[in-house]
Amino acid sequence: MERPIFKPIGTPTEELDTPSLIVDVDALDHNLATVASYFAGRTAKLRPHIEAHRTPAIAHKQLAAGGHVGGIAVSTLGQAETFVPNGFSDVFVANLVVTPQKITSLCALAQQAKIGVAVDSAANVSDLSNAAVANGVTLEVVVYVNTRLGLYGVEPGQPAVDLAKAVVDSPGLVFAGIMTHEGSILSDDAGETAAETCAALQPLLDTRQAIEQAGIGVRVVSAGGTSNYEAAGAIEGVTEVQAGSYALLDARHAPHLPQLKTAGRVMTTVTSRPEPGYMITDGGQKAIGADTGFPSVDNLPSPTVKGLSAEHGSIYFDSSDGVDPQLGERIWCTPWDAATCANLHDYIFAVRNGALEAVWEVSARGRYR
Amino acid sequence: MDSTICERGTPVDELETPCFIVELDALESNYRVVSDTYRDTVCKMRQHTKNIKSPFLAKMQMEIGGSNGGVCTAKVAEAEVMVEGGITDILIPNQIVTHDKLDRVCALARHGDIKLCVDSVENVRTISDVATKNGVEVSILIEVDTSMGRAGVRGPQEGVAIAEAARDMPGVAFRGVMSHQNVGEAFSKEDRYLRGQETIDICLKVKDAVEAAGIPVEIVSSGETFCYDVAAQIPGVTEVEGGSYALMSTGYGYMTEFQIAGKVLGTVVSAPRPGVVIGDVGMRSIAAPAGVLPTVDGLDGVEVESIHDDHIVLRTNGDSPLRVGDKFKLLPAHQDMLVNRWDQYVAVRDGAVEDVWDIPGRGCYH
Repeated sequence: MERPIFKPIGTPTEELDTPSLIVDVDALDHNLATVASYFAGRTAKLRPHIEAHRTPAIAHKQLAAGGHVGGIAVSTLGQAETFVPNGFSDVFVANLVVTPQKITSLCALAQQAKIGVAVDSAANVSDLSNAAVANGVTLEVVVYVNTRLGLYGVEPGQPAVDLAKAVVDSPGLVFAGIMTHEGSILSDDAGETAAETCAALQPLLDTRQAIEQAGIGVRVVSAGGTSNYEAAGAIEGVTEVQAGSYALLDARHAPHLPQLKTAGRVMTTVTSRPEPGYMITDGGQKAIGADTGFPSVDNLPSPTVKGLSAEHGSIYFDSSDGVDPQLGERIWCTPWDAATCANLHDYIFAVRNGALEAVWEVSARGRYR
Repeated sequence: MDSTICERGTPVDELETPCFIVELDALESNYRVVSDTYRDTVCKMRQHTKNIKSPFLAKMQMEIGGSNGGVCTAKVAEAEVMVEGGITDILIPNQIVTHDKLDRVCALARHGDIKLCVDSVENVRTISDVATKNGVEVSILIEVDTSMGRAGVRGPQEGVAIAEAARDMPGVAFRGVMSHQNVGEAFSKEDRYLRGQETIDICLKVKDAVEAAGIPVEIVSSGETFCYDVAAQIPGVTEVEGGSYALMSTGYGYMTEFQIAGKVLGTVVSAPRPGVVIGDVGMRSIAAPAGVLPTVDGLDGVEVESIHDDHIVLRTNGDSPLRVGDKFKLLPAHQDMLVNRWDQYVAVRDGAVEDVWDIPGRGCYH
């Protein structure tokens, strides 16, 4: 468990303990309002994916901002088990749940909230149906269609139609619709993002048509993410977008989404100055994460992250203008992937106007099952 | 927060996944290798708990042997976990520079022998000020950069200046020198010896210079898993800071005397195409620093193709031995980051759960 030095509400941000995940509430609210307003006037709505922060306090703010379908998406049963008791009544597990014990747990959750789950095989549909009937609950089922990412999912077209029919014919299950994860589409050119998103989602839209031609209503067509939320939300036929990273943003998305602000950053401390233009900080892989990329450094001239050890950051910077950070000074790092970073922390320190406003628990940290 | 709820004796194949397991036979074998290596040496093991994050696992090494009775912790919060767990000889091979953290160090110093590593006179002064204010004494070692290019003094004269400052200031006691090494490309036993001696010599030169200035050097804390056997034979080295050897990972595959004890159990959740299955272990739960992939344990013809947030893609040749619902085990490329993502060790032996242990040091990077 994380053991920061807890300080009183109102403590100046720079006096908080490090390395800590700090969220600027004004920047967060800006991001939530920006994305919510985009969906407010559209047919497509947002379904905030909470895997990006695992924090009920942030998810409540996402729903309060509007522009959504009334529920959230999660990536594991364990995350659903965390969020349902935190007051979320519509939770979609955008993933496959296949083992008997997990299916039983999913049905138990469905006693308490509206629970959806993705499927990509007839065998899984059968298992879910049997459990739902045995437990006297109804599960919302979404057929997961394999598109651009090529990870898992049933193939578009007839295989998806067949699986939709299987769901419709299964007691205890309600066929809600179809979804895909097409993967990040990061481009500075909105036209390019739109074109690639359209190309990626066309098989999903064709599948919707094929299922409807088979006489089955498709209520949900879920696709898109933070990288292409505008493009996906503008496509006729897409009903919801599962975006999550837009809340905290991160170094991966920020350059491509100038309308949003980096709200989640790790504050670190200079612990060693072994050479001019070079510093060691207390923020390494364990506190920031480096599975898919290094963080950006926000308050140094021309910073270059030489490396991130388990417990240290090694950072070069331009010292030609006499820049000479002292031991104890704070260095701000924006993680490359905010979702990786949030999963490393038990607490988020929420600050506004340079002072601590709240400490939020990252309640679903480590809920991989 | 994750918690595994299972009965003792539960077969491993019935665990819900992903699940971090530690195979006790392998862990105990690794601990015995260390115990045997240090049986007759002056130099002893000071286990680094950044890799295990559990006083319980550290005490297992102390019971089996080869330990000097103390541990290293990467951070102050980790030191608190160890002291609360009953281990009072603590070396933090890291710089603690802020007053709030040093206040915590001083609180710990009332319960144990707390040693900090420094690489500047300025840091010694700060520690002295805070220790004096708190009415305790904190021990100091010089961190020497030998090959990491990270923190640490760059030469003997810097070290002597620190030792003299520590000797002259109140609230601090000078105890010795410390270094971590970079293995470089030295993977054969011969190369590990050469590399270990070459780098640790840089640390010993600082010790010699400090002693030449008339200041006794009690502790030379150096070496790590890759030169655990080398360092123990270098005259002057009093203790080795090994951590990775306990649970091991594929990155240390060149050290065949150790076994991988920490693994992640997964379940196949989809079989979307011939020759491909999808498992429920992703980067979130196993960690993939710099994108290095884990390896499938003990299944011929099954290879990791790619890893995603919550999934892994396994490529199988010919008829897949893996079907939806089947279990598989993954060997981590780096166990340090893996352990930091879990709240419990599910300890298994002979294919069944023997115990479940908390990992109280998880997330202790403050």
